[in-house]
Amino acid sequence: MIEAKSVTKKFHNETAVRNINITVKRGSIYGLLGSNGAGKTTLLKMMAGIYRPETGTISIEDVPVFENVFIKKKVCYIPDTLYFFPQNTIAQMAEYYQNIYSEWDASRFNTLKRVFQIDTDRKIHKLSKGMQRQVAFWLALSCMPSVLILDEPIDGLDPVMRQKIKNVLFQDVADREMTVIISSHNLREIEDICDHIGIMHQGELIVEKELDDLKADTHKIQVAFKSELQEKHIVDQLEVVHQEKRGSVSVLIVKGEESNIKRIVRSEKPFVFDILPLTLEEMFIYEMGEVGYEIENILL
Amino acid sequence: MFELDPRNRKPIYEQLMEKIKELILAEVLTVDEKLPSVRMLSKELTINPNTIQKAYRELEREGYLYSANRKGYFVAPIELHADKKVNELKTQFQHLLREAVYLGVTKEQIAQWFDEIEKGEEKSD
Repeated sequence: MIEAKSVTKKFHNETAVRNINITVKRGSIYGLLGSNGAGKTTLLKMMAGIYRPETGTISIEDVPVFENVFIKKKVCYIPDTLYFFPQNTIAQMAEYYQNIYSEWDASRFNTLKRVFQIDTDRKIHKLSKGMQRQVAFWLALSCMPSVLILDEPIDGLDPVMRQKIKNVLFQDVADREMTVIISSHNLREIEDICDHIGIMHQGELIVEKELDDLKADTHKIQVAFKSELQEKHIVDQLEVVHQEKRGSVSVLIVKGEESNIKRIVRSEKPFVFDILPLTLEEMFIYEMGEVGYEIENILL
Repeated sequence: MFELDPRNRKPIYEQLMEKIKELILAEVLTVDEKLPSVRMLSKELTINPNTIQKAYRELEREGYLYSANRKGYFVAPIELHADKKVNELKTQFQHLLREAVYLGVTKEQIAQWFDEIEKGEEKSD
């Protein structure tokens, strides 16, 4: 379990993370989303024990992480910009990891060779960006971590490799209750992987929820009524976050329970009434809109 | 054994629940049959194991499955889910009925359809 309690981190005068509380349950896969510069990477680096928070505490399994060798042996962090020693081959790098991570599993490393299929005698710096990312996963998953922290991990991986890596991750989650925290902008991918979601904006956590609850709570509805008055009537009764009109059909983004929304809308006998599921991408855009980070189409 | 549609926007656990219900109602999965373990299904479908766990737990709550401690999930006896089947049909039926009412179909017509079915002559009009 990862727990952050009222954590703040500043760089000079810049507050990167502001009073954040977050809990990631053991065995869960947590997706951290947010606008650019929201403080995701800073938060992840604090979880990995790289940065020391100014105020508040970050603990893994109830022990503070910063400078804690015992806990850090169980944590693997794949940063957005990878680092390997210059001139090292995969085998050499693996040897280095083996000396650091006491849980290193050599047979796991060999089994994963079948997944990644890269010759271990190749120099990592001569590999492509995507292949370097594969090596990072290969090494991290051989360390048998209890916590895996991934910053923008999908970047540069081809669809086949993504699927393979996802599969391996899921097996580790199912078998060993590994906890995974992922930051990404690829919402389609996050939607498939995660069970919990946190959305950050300007250093703060604005939403934290189980993904399915978030989905069950926001709906996109299409309605058409005989008169404007009827529409106004239902809009007044519902918690509408967004409204759009396409001809005589209105598209509303509504929060609340599905059955309740159905009841209210049907009471006015609409011509057209459909409830459409929202994608995570749409939800993200509307949640961000609520805190004033909206899509404006600026005319050039 | 289960095929999920990646383009379907419904939450994956709901899709999974529907698939399993279908298989139970069609008696492809029979009473007391063991469902694949969370671990295996997660590996096979490349789905978050927590999602599968959630689907199984919900199905247990709805009475379609029962769990034996640590041995996994099994299909519950028929009596347990017979009512559910009727309820399920009711929602589907009501949905169609609502459309029919919109189109001006009368109660008498619907009653007539009912009689036709009972007599075994399935006519569309």
